[in-house]
Amino acid sequence: MPTPANLDRTLLALADPTRRSILHSLTKGEARVTDLAEPIKMSLNAVSKHIRVLERARLVRRRRAGREHLLSLNPEPMEAAARWMAQQRAYWTARLAALDALLTAEDQAENVPHKKGDTR
Amino acid sequence: MSTPKTVTVRVTHRFIASPERVFDAWLDPAKASKFLFTTPTGQMVKVEIDPQVGGHFAIVDRRDGEDVAHTGEYLEIDRPRRLVFTFGVPKYSSLMTTVTIDIVPLESGCELTLTHEGVPPEYEQPNISGWTRILEGLAANL
Repeated sequence: MPTPANLDRTLLALADPTRRSILHSLTKGEARVTDLAEPIKMSLNAVSKHIRVLERARLVRRRRAGREHLLSLNPEPMEAAARWMAQQRAYWTARLAALDALLTAEDQAENVPHKKGDTR
Repeated sequence: MSTPKTVTVRVTHRFIASPERVFDAWLDPAKASKFLFTTPTGQMVKVEIDPQVGGHFAIVDRRDGEDVAHTGEYLEIDRPRRLVFTFGVPKYSSLMTTVTIDIVPLESGCELTLTHEGVPPEYEQPNISGWTRILEGLAANL
């Protein structure tokens, strides 16, 4: 099962409701730290810590415009995580089908009438 | 930091075989080597199963000349209804996830529900952007 090496950072970054809320705000466009702190009623320091986690996970990008730091969303790691989840589901569906085939083959060897099960 | 909330991958499959046969296959090295943690092109190198609560397993598959180990620990063994184990691929990720197998007997055969927890957190708020739609789609599907 292919698992991106940086998946941990993405998942850990997303595992917090405040950080998900920050990402949600950034879906509307670039924002300053102060813009992000206001709706969640958090100190700038606390919000900055969350933003650093998001930056390390590459979910948030930072650029300078004069004296201001503007933050924006980078969806790529999120999409990679989504692809990984789809792979997980396909993987387990295939494993259960393989188990079914294995048990069905045993039945056939014993001449037991059977029909195959199905995955939903 | 709050407790991580994880989305769950869930797959259900109906078997004609009895709950006992389906359950036992997960803890039988000969059978597990044929369906669990294998890929069609992979070659099973090692299967070690210590089928008791607190016992560990290691299943090593060779893919394109590369050995990939799947390891974990059994947390719950309630034959033939429920099996819970942790599971990870140390080579790719330090993340340990939890797999729960629930087996419900049917008039003929049984229904198995596999729940894999410890994958990305769900996103519940309504939104318009592409990546959040991806997440919502996942949460609805999984």
